[in-house]
Amino acid sequence: MPTKPTATQTEDAALFREFEHTGDLGIELEAPTRAELFRRAAIALAALMVETASVAETEQRQVAVEAQADLDLMHDLLTELLALFTVEGFIWRDASVTEAGRSLRVTLRGEPFDPARHAFRGEIKAVTYHQLMVDNSPGGWRSRVIFDV
Amino acid sequence: MNLIKLSDYLWEIPKTGAMRVPGRVYASAKMIEAMREDPALTQVANVACLPGIVGYSLAMPDIHWGYGFPIGGVAAVDAREGVISPGGVGYDINCGVRLARTRLDFSFVEPRIDQLADALFAKIPAGVGSWGAIPGLSIEQLKEVVSQGAHWALRNGYATRRDLEHTEEGGMLAGADPDRISERAYTRGAKQLGTLGSGNHFLEVSRIDEIYDSKLADALGLELGQVTVLIHSGSRGLGHQTCDDYLKVVGGAMARYGINLPDRQLAAVPISSPEGQAYLGAMAGAANFAWCNRQVMMHLAEQAFLDALSIAPRELGFELVYDVCHNIAKFEEHSVNGQMRLVCVHRKGATRAFGPGHPALPDALRPLGQPVLVPGDMGRYSFVLVGLETAMRETFGSSCHGAGRLMSRMKAKKEAGGRDLRAELKALGVTVRAHSRGGIAEEMPHAYKDVAEVVEVMEAARVTRRVARLKPFAVIKG
Repeated sequence: MPTKPTATQTEDAALFREFEHTGDLGIELEAPTRAELFRRAAIALAALMVETASVAETEQRQVAVEAQADLDLMHDLLTELLALFTVEGFIWRDASVTEAGRSLRVTLRGEPFDPARHAFRGEIKAVTYHQLMVDNSPGGWRSRVIFDV
Repeated sequence: MNLIKLSDYLWEIPKTGAMRVPGRVYASAKMIEAMREDPALTQVANVACLPGIVGYSLAMPDIHWGYGFPIGGVAAVDAREGVISPGGVGYDINCGVRLARTRLDFSFVEPRIDQLADALFAKIPAGVGSWGAIPGLSIEQLKEVVSQGAHWALRNGYATRRDLEHTEEGGMLAGADPDRISERAYTRGAKQLGTLGSGNHFLEVSRIDEIYDSKLADALGLELGQVTVLIHSGSRGLGHQTCDDYLKVVGGAMARYGINLPDRQLAAVPISSPEGQAYLGAMAGAANFAWCNRQVMMHLAEQAFLDALSIAPRELGFELVYDVCHNIAKFEEHSVNGQMRLVCVHRKGATRAFGPGHPALPDALRPLGQPVLVPGDMGRYSFVLVGLETAMRETFGSSCHGAGRLMSRMKAKKEAGGRDLRAELKALGVTVRAHSRGGIAEEMPHAYKDVAEVVEVMEAARVTRRVARLKPFAVIKG
C-alpha cells in the first residue's frame, strides 16, 4: 500500500506514519531498538485518539504485558493501552519501556482525559490482527498495525 | 483478480486454491473496475476458505477493504459442520441502524433546525468515552441488559411494546450468556448505554424527499416531506472488547481443530466447539446491548424533539419504523442446492433483507418484506428498501448496508484540510453538530461512494426494492 506522511500529525510526526486503509486506520513505525518501537507505538496510539500536544505529563500509569511473540506483544500492549484510555480515561503524551524477556513494562506519562482541554481526534474500537507485522531487519525495527475505528 | 461476468450486476470469483466455494460480487461494471485491485476482493476469496461455507462467499456493492472479512461480506456456513468467526461479525457486534418516523412535516421543523440540533447534541452523548446518557449501570444490571436486549429498555421506560415488534429479532437475540462476557467488556460498556460513539456513527434528522413505491411507503407510514430520524450505532465498548476477547480465544484454539486460514483476523472454530459456543453466547449478549443502546437513544431523541419544539408526544408521533443490524452471525434456514438447511449467516457490513411472507417478520411487515435501512453520507441521502424474494434465493436474505468508503480516512482528512466543512454542509442544507473536526473530515460526503448507485445495483439484481429516500438536514456526530 502507498505510504505517505500524514498531514495532520503534530510533534509526533517522526514517530509514526499513517497509511491508507479504506475503512480503517493503519500506522507504520520504525525504530532503532525493540523497546523504542513499542514506545513509539504507545505514543502513536494516544496521538491518534487525542491531540496530545495539550496533554500535561502530571501523572504516571504502568501497564505490563507478556506474550511469546512480538506480534502478540504489540497487539496486547496496544489493547491494554486502549483500555487504559477507554476504561480509566487516562491519556498520555510520552512513554518509557522496560524489556524483561518476553514481557514489557510500559510507563505512561500524562493525565486524566478532559474533553474541555484535550481535543479528541477519533475513537479507536480495537487493535486488529489484520496484516499486523513486527519485524527486525538490519535497518532496525519496523511494525505495521491496523486499528478498527 | 479474475472475475467472470454473470450479469450486468453480478460477478464471480472462480474457486481456486483453498477456496471451498466461489465468490460472488454484486456490483455494476463501473464499480467492478474501481475495485479490481482492491484488497477487498482478495478478502472475498479468503472468506471462501472457511470450513463449512455453503453456496458462495458473497459481497454486496458497498464492499470495501476490511480486516479478515471485507466490509459488505456475507458468508453462510453449515450450522453443524461449519465454523464461527468473530472477525466475520466484527468488533462492533450488532452495529446497526434504526429509523423512527414523526408526524411532523419539514416545513414545521425548518425554522427550528438549530434548536433541534442543539437539543439532540445535548441529550445524546457522542464522541470519545461518551457516557452518562442514563445513570451508570452495575455489572448485575448490565447482565440484565445483555440477557434482555431492548426488553430491558421496555421494562425501564425507554421503549414501547410496538418498538420491540419493529426491531429485528424483537430486539433480543436468543442464546445470550452473560457469563461469557468479560469483566473488562462490562466495564467498557458500563457508562455507554444510550451513547452514539464516534467514527461513522451518527444520528441524522431527515425529510423524505422521494417516494419510489407509494404502496409500500404508505404501509410503512412514510410520506413526502415527513421528518424522520435515523440512528447508526452499535454495542460500544462492550461489543468491541467481546470481539477482542474471543479473537484471542478462537485464534488460540484454531490449531486444535486443524483449521488453517489465510488471515489471522479470520480466526474461526467449529460452531459446535466449546469456544464457538462461548463466543456465540457472548456475541448474542453484545448484540442485545446494541439493541438496547439504540432503543435508549431513540427515547432520548424523542425527548429532545419534545423539548426543542415544545410539542406534545401525540403531535410528534415518534414511532419506530424498523431497526436492523448489519454486523452479526445468525442461525437461519436457507435453501442450499435446492434443499432447506440450517446455516449460520455471517453478515459483516450487510443487512438482513428477508422477502415478503418470511415467518421471522412481524405481522404488520410480513406482507411487505423486511425494511432495509441504508445510510448514505451526511451530505446526500439515505434509503429505505424492502427485501424481495430473490434475496432468499441468492443472497441468504441479505443486502447492502451503506454507501461504502471511497477514500481512506487519511485521504479524506487531507482533502478536507483548510476547508470549512461545516459551512459546506450548511450550504447543502445540512446542520452538523460534532465533537471533533476530524470526525466531520473523515466522514465528509465525498469520502463515500454514492449510495444511490449501491441501492440501484441491489434493485437491478432484484434483491431489494427502493421505497423512500431520506434527505438529511441535521446530523449529530462524535
